[in-house]
Amino acid sequence: MLAYVIRRVLIMIPMAVAISFLVYVGLDATPGDAVSFMLSPEQMSGANPERLEELREALGLNQPLFVRYFIWLGGLLQGNFGYTLTGGVPISDLLARRLPATLELAAVALVLSTVFGSILGIISALRRGTATDNTLTVVGMVGVSIPEFFFGLVAITVFALNLGWLPVGGRSMPQYVTFWDRLPHLVMPALVLSIMMTAGVMRYARAAMLDALNKDFIKTARSKGLPEWRVNLLHGFRVALTPVVVLIGFRLPALIGGSVIVEQVFQWPGVGSLFVLSVRNQDYPVVMAIALISVVTVLVVSVVIDVLTAIIDPRVRLGN
Amino acid sequence: MTTTTQLPVDDVALSVRDLKTFFYTNKRCNKAVNGVSFEIRKGKTLCIVGESGCGKSVTASAIMQLLPTLSRIEEGEIVYHSERGDIRLDTLARNGRAMRSIRGSEIAMIFQDPMTALNPVFTIGFQIVENLRYHTAMRGRQLMDKAIDLLRSMGIPAPERRVEQFPHQFSGGMRQRAMIAMAMACNPKILIADEPTTALDVTIQAQIFELMATLKRDHGTAIMLITHDMGVVAELADDVAVMYMGNIVEAGTVDEVLRRPSHPYTWALLDSVPVLGRGKNQDIRAIPGSTPDPFNRPTGCQFADRCVYKLDACELALPAETHLSPTHRVRCVRHEEFANGVRN
Repeated sequence: MLAYVIRRVLIMIPMAVAISFLVYVGLDATPGDAVSFMLSPEQMSGANPERLEELREALGLNQPLFVRYFIWLGGLLQGNFGYTLTGGVPISDLLARRLPATLELAAVALVLSTVFGSILGIISALRRGTATDNTLTVVGMVGVSIPEFFFGLVAITVFALNLGWLPVGGRSMPQYVTFWDRLPHLVMPALVLSIMMTAGVMRYARAAMLDALNKDFIKTARSKGLPEWRVNLLHGFRVALTPVVVLIGFRLPALIGGSVIVEQVFQWPGVGSLFVLSVRNQDYPVVMAIALISVVTVLVVSVVIDVLTAIIDPRVRLGN
Repeated sequence: MTTTTQLPVDDVALSVRDLKTFFYTNKRCNKAVNGVSFEIRKGKTLCIVGESGCGKSVTASAIMQLLPTLSRIEEGEIVYHSERGDIRLDTLARNGRAMRSIRGSEIAMIFQDPMTALNPVFTIGFQIVENLRYHTAMRGRQLMDKAIDLLRSMGIPAPERRVEQFPHQFSGGMRQRAMIAMAMACNPKILIADEPTTALDVTIQAQIFELMATLKRDHGTAIMLITHDMGVVAELADDVAVMYMGNIVEAGTVDEVLRRPSHPYTWALLDSVPVLGRGKNQDIRAIPGSTPDPFNRPTGCQFADRCVYKLDACELALPAETHLSPTHRVRCVRHEEFANGVRN
């Protein structure tokens, strides 16, 4: 298994380079550049073309695509994410501020959705065809179908504006020190973010559980005189776990890369809202840094899922 | 068509009387088992034979209370003659404590396909130990030792290593041996085997049946063997019950049923078995037609449509069960003629 993991990690390096290059090319293909967003159209039209060219040169924008990409990559290998084009702030500082906020939100949403999704899915499967199951299925469909921003706006209207129980948005206030001080800010974005995931995990867990419960070994387990909880949870859910773990794993990169919409709706100062801002400003070093984080997360998670699957299911053999 | 117990009760491990088990789908009712009576004698093997869908497996599931949720026992009784006295299994709650304490310890079951009947994510040892933990006082190291002993007695080589392995590391025959080890873990009084060798190749089949014969001899386990293989019946059975469309059409000791078969369906089954040594030109007669739609059954004898001896009377009502001897019974309108040797 160790050899497999080492090989997978080594393969990750060229993959990360290739994907980041594609993102770079994609960014370059969009119309305009950072300079055109730094200046208003009025200034642009009145500006001296030579001055604009000087600005571009200062920002390193006038070099060929490949050269710019390798300069960026070279910096990255020295641990230097570069500076934002719009403010000259070191991107590593920016990420150090933003990433914890996103991770906090992601962790809470992940735990909530995994726990509730699995439990509701199991209940739904065990009560198949009953009113409980039908209700959960409908709620699950609604949860998956309605976009997050809608839930976000409804939550803000009800709990922040009408009831005044929770703050409208943001993450922290100057006098806040501990996690518990910030908790009220976290409640709404975390819940809204976990709604869709909970619904997804629930539907998946239900399907996987039903599949497992229909297997012959469930009848065998029952024929041994085991109590129902052991038949369902140990023999059933243990087998249903594999697809659920895979699903949760593949949701993880989206969470760590920043849940763009939820962070935007709640003004959560995370990576997601930074991403939106940077794309709008064509601040490509920042976009590249965030994209790279997402890419690496996807790659790491896929290895982690493989290893987890092999641990959960003894039939899975890693390697060739 | 009452069936009186013909045998001394001491001899009987389990009796089923007039069992009816129906399946309900889309408001239609499939009378899968429609009035079945038989006894499993202590230390003897009862073979239940019949085509697919005749209710063999449903009968087994009914005894174990392992029927699917859409089916239920409508009528009749299943009495387990335990050392503690008679227990009406059909009245126990499906997954209640009383039923669970019998299931797996006093009445155990092995299934058709050992490939899917073992849980793929647990070791063989774990799955055997589970049974012991719930039904015996054994704990700790004893449990694994017993599991190893069981595997060894089932003829599995290197059982110390094998208990640590997962089902996918076992071959088909080995898995069925492991299944039998699991079923035999608590030394059950009755072993129900639901076509235990259908999924295995012929040489392995012979080994498994040999193993079951040994179990019967050494432990005095009563076996209810569901099969559609007449060769197996001749080899292993003490008693035979032939089922067709939810009824037992003929039952008796193996001599009575195989040597003096008295129901046209039994004849048809026997005629459709190829016999080794008769060469490739032997006349194997398949049974004409196919089993009727369970939702649209004939009113009379269920076999009438496919029977060459059919009379008008056959279609009127289901023939009553008649005893040709204390143990030999048959459901056929023309049983008297047939018993007197009138055939063809």
